[in-house]
Amino acid sequence: MPAGLRDWTPEELAALRAVEGCLRRTFEAWGYREVATPALEYLETWTRGMGSRPAAALFVVVDRTGELLALRPEMTVPVARFVATRWPDTVARLYYVGSVFRGELGRGNSREFPQAGVERVGDGGADADAEVVALAVDALRQAAVPGVRVGLGHAGFLRALLDASGLEEDRQVAQEALYRRDFVTLSSLLDGAPAPVRGALLDLPSLRGPGALQRARGLGVGKEALDELEAVLEAVQGYAVADAVEVDLGIIRDFDYYTGMVLEAYAPGSGAPLLGGGRYDQLLERFGARRPAVGFAVHLERVLATSQRGGVLAPVLEVGYERPARAQALAWVLRARAAGLRVAATPAEEGYLQPGLSFRADGVWWVERDGSRRPLAPQDLDALLEGRTP
Amino acid sequence: MRSLTVALPSGRLLEDAVRLLRAAGYRGPDGRDRSLVWQWGELTVIVAKPVDLLTYVERGAADCGVVGKDVLLEQAHEVYELVDLGFGRCRGVVALPAERRHLWEDPRRHLRVATKYPRVAERFFWERGRPVEIVELYGSVELAPRVGLSDGILDLVMTGATLRANGLVEVAEVFQSTARLVVNPVSLRARGEAVRELVSRLTRVVEGVP
Repeated sequence: MPAGLRDWTPEELAALRAVEGCLRRTFEAWGYREVATPALEYLETWTRGMGSRPAAALFVVVDRTGELLALRPEMTVPVARFVATRWPDTVARLYYVGSVFRGELGRGNSREFPQAGVERVGDGGADADAEVVALAVDALRQAAVPGVRVGLGHAGFLRALLDASGLEEDRQVAQEALYRRDFVTLSSLLDGAPAPVRGALLDLPSLRGPGALQRARGLGVGKEALDELEAVLEAVQGYAVADAVEVDLGIIRDFDYYTGMVLEAYAPGSGAPLLGGGRYDQLLERFGARRPAVGFAVHLERVLATSQRGGVLAPVLEVGYERPARAQALAWVLRARAAGLRVAATPAEEGYLQPGLSFRADGVWWVERDGSRRPLAPQDLDALLEGRTP
Repeated sequence: MRSLTVALPSGRLLEDAVRLLRAAGYRGPDGRDRSLVWQWGELTVIVAKPVDLLTYVERGAADCGVVGKDVLLEQAHEVYELVDLGFGRCRGVVALPAERRHLWEDPRRHLRVATKYPRVAERFFWERGRPVEIVELYGSVELAPRVGLSDGILDLVMTGATLRANGLVEVAEVFQSTARLVVNPVSLRARGEAVRELVSRLTRVVEGVP
């Protein structure tokens, strides 16, 4: 198997589907509709949507006509393309579940991993942001992730800090260092910056929690962004999730992409964010429709690792039959399946008894794991159909 | 609450990293302990191979780590790089055999370069528009040009003695490196107080504040 790819056993998949199911049900309950886009898109779609960001991370293939296609590294760009080109209404609440792909193998990372997420298109206000934040908390809680924390930052605040730093030709270098979370390089670039701005930039990793907004306001920088963030926090109060939400101005996400609030969710037991997202008001414009949008993507394997839900394989009733009893056995099996039971029917050699139900020439038997058996009467078979053990 | 876990790199940076922790007031076991997990008061200290260190920190198996800038440049990562610890100073350079150093003068010349830093090398040559073939090796890179495996190398130098001993001369500096303190993004938030304490104690030592 190529590095970074994996199989999912039935047990593993049952657990994944259980978590996925929780998220789906939550998204549906909030009025979101599922959408699916192809795994492959034109390379040009990705460069248009993502800017310079991912070139190396794309999994590129050449099709028969020489056209360059790439496997989706994320879902927001295709959903934006879909909404911009195919969606009739200006407002959309959409969700997706599917695998995303990376062309390059990070250290021990996957090249294919399952994601789920939402995109709320068409509303630019704090209420739309708050809805998405609250939905993020609710979805993770429904998936039985304990101790969910969602941090809210703002891409505009970071831009405003960089603008106020007085850097000119090094501004891009500083932004890249910030994006890489390289505070050592950032510190050396900011030697000439105004002390409060320099202090705030270098202190970003701890600019969070109660009082962070107030401290940030004290700088007199990025007022518009901080006002927006405050409005989102206020709008979130109406949902029963405020205790899980905090200001975290140190959240650093892609500058080419996010235009407003950004969010990340954490939980004990996961060394990386469970989900991430934010407001991206300029993305749809790149596909010809000027519409604001906000959303998040959930890293399902990380949720799976922290969820207490656990999925178990539903039990399957094993039915064995000897040739002479085949017609009788299969007739009962069909009834059982119609009644909602999971049944596997297998021909058995004469005299053989497997655990479960055994249709033999000499009658119908219930066989225990230890091989002991007892005969079943017709009413016992009916009891089985109703889900009771005979 | 479990103690903060700090990953230290085995090899050339280990001794200085241990000295730094002691100078910052952390007390650990003395002597040449071969164990890979130590209890240092409120810190759990683990020792990992330098190439694996970011994996421990990125996945949250360690909250913090000490790692060379050279490794941070080579490996894609999502950790926070917070403090330049100052020790382990070295440089990444391109070096050619003395008798063939003229090859560097022609920027269109295709060079075969042996290195433990293929991504750094790729970026360095690409940014300068110089054609290159990268030969990825895991050790004794300086051997490659001697046996005709490559034209030159991109490798770390500390004193330059290894280069001289192998008849190599530096033709370009690629990066400068020192040890850095890195932090897992979730630990930074979930264990902010403990991380801040470690950062400030280490920073005081590094900056020479009593």
